[in-house]
Amino acid sequence: MATTSIARPQAGVRPEGGGLLHRLFGRQPAGYLFLLPWLVGFLGLTLGPALASLYLSFTDYNLLESPNWVGAANYVRIATADPRFVAAMRVTLLYVVLSVPLKLVFALLVAMAFNRGLKGLPLYRAIFYLPSLLGSSVAIAVLWRQLFAGDGLVNMALWQLFGIEGPSWISNPRYSLYTLVILSVWQFGSPMIIFLAGLRQIPVDMYEAANLDGASKMRQFFKITLPLLTPVIFFNAVIQTIDAFKAFTPAFIISDGQGGPVNSTLFYTLYLYQEGFGFFRMGYASALAWILVVIIGAFTAFSFLSARYWVHYDE
Amino acid sequence: MTSSAAAIPAIHQPAERRALWRSILIHALLIGASILMLYPLLWMLSGSVRPQDEIFGSSSLLPSSISFDGFVRGWSGLQVSFGKFFLNSLIIAVLATIGNVVGCSITAFAFARLDFRGRNFWFALMLGTLMLPYHVTLIPQYILFLQIGWVNTFLPLIVPKYLATDAFFIFLMVQFFRGIPRELDEAAMMDGCSPWRIYWKIMLPLSLPVLATAAIFSFIWTWDDFFGPLIYLNDINTYTIQLGLRSFVDSTGQSDWSGLFAMSTLSLIPVFLFFLFFQRLLIEGIATTGLKR
Repeated sequence: MATTSIARPQAGVRPEGGGLLHRLFGRQPAGYLFLLPWLVGFLGLTLGPALASLYLSFTDYNLLESPNWVGAANYVRIATADPRFVAAMRVTLLYVVLSVPLKLVFALLVAMAFNRGLKGLPLYRAIFYLPSLLGSSVAIAVLWRQLFAGDGLVNMALWQLFGIEGPSWISNPRYSLYTLVILSVWQFGSPMIIFLAGLRQIPVDMYEAANLDGASKMRQFFKITLPLLTPVIFFNAVIQTIDAFKAFTPAFIISDGQGGPVNSTLFYTLYLYQEGFGFFRMGYASALAWILVVIIGAFTAFSFLSARYWVHYDE
Repeated sequence: MTSSAAAIPAIHQPAERRALWRSILIHALLIGASILMLYPLLWMLSGSVRPQDEIFGSSSLLPSSISFDGFVRGWSGLQVSFGKFFLNSLIIAVLATIGNVVGCSITAFAFARLDFRGRNFWFALMLGTLMLPYHVTLIPQYILFLQIGWVNTFLPLIVPKYLATDAFFIFLMVQFFRGIPRELDEAAMMDGCSPWRIYWKIMLPLSLPVLATAAIFSFIWTWDDFFGPLIYLNDINTYTIQLGLRSFVDSTGQSDWSGLFAMSTLSLIPVFLFFLFFQRLLIEGIATTGLKR
């Protein structure tokens, strides 16, 4: 840039090819000073540990003795001889497959009800958003535990309204996971806000033109709203799915950290926690972590590949 | 419009009436849904001030009488008082928030504005860490912090934030910084302003919205964090509010509902206050950046 020649020494901007400093670090070596905290964190807390856990996943490290190389034994055991891994996988996939679509459908329906110049929108929006802001705390998990307990609110309501005597939902392996799905769907507020922002991007004149042509509301939804919203749907689906794979707190609180009853709430992260920090099988838990990375990575790659066929980016 | 003024109401009236019914229907549905959404929260709130024997067998929101016994029992329900847990949570959340804002904004400034060798390379790596689940760094990080004696201190929950480990906020700030006109810092540079002064005197003051968004979300996420404290804090004197609540569930089981609900309610108050006062910022933060909560 022309301005650099006028820069005074303290400016941090010097002409190209100045001293050794510049040849090593570029035009503004000060950049590395600013980058230093991140570099330390990246190398020491992200890259280093990630490589270390890759190494540990091939060992039997247990925190007490030094790690012994066991080759792929951990991975072989996970793939062939670990019923709890299978249970955790089943529970987590079921949770993802149920909670993410339901959450997104609710979010979209409510956002669409909002979009037509509705009176009182800020209030409604605030009410629907509140659960997703509070939802990740232990207090809400505790509340959920009490809602779906044998003598909880849900059963009281069922008894008073319909005379039905409900089971203890959280301690029945047939229902416990569904209480967590409901908890997740209850927090549809943030995808709803993202949908709302997406709906506002759709030009009003498209609907006006469709009205003039006599297109029904249904047709407008499938021919205008849904296609133009696909980038937002895609974004929400990817974010929510990755998040659902990592779910931990509610299952931990509802099952006292056990993932029970009968492994019915054994989320993948909870299983990893138990192996790593309950039994101190650090090597085995590292292998579990890397399998999760591969699963999430594969899912993300698949989403981006499939996006070509259903996401409209023609604006 | 011109053909027949009298005919217009006749044509439009049914449509208007239909629109009115539609809007009544939508409001009725939304109000019903709002009640359903808020009922659990209100039930918890009313449970916290209910006399202890009354919670069982009541799904109504109105207690027969108001009693603050639950708060008293809950506050000192464990061997360490909840006041200590609140203080611990507050210390961690405040220091972590400052760390996130300082660490991430310095990093973002380097990526957005400074011209140094390898910038694109590091930037790509930074974006790569966005997708990396924390599970892969968890165990070696724990071993590291254990070996340097940081387990049972707040340090593992605070120090990494100063090293800008939360790539999402870096990304957010880089996007924002790029929107600030470059002429400003180029002019300042011609006047001999150092990069540090440009960061401090130009970029930060112009970036208050994004800094506030990052600060609020960092605070809420740190306050709500359960996994980190669960792993690093084993001594009850170092417990955060989330760990305290969990111990309270374990120790009282199902017996002291009002105490449990009272402490749960208290633990939500800081986040609720952010919701009350910074709602617009929160909602805009989500709408424009896709923050997940």
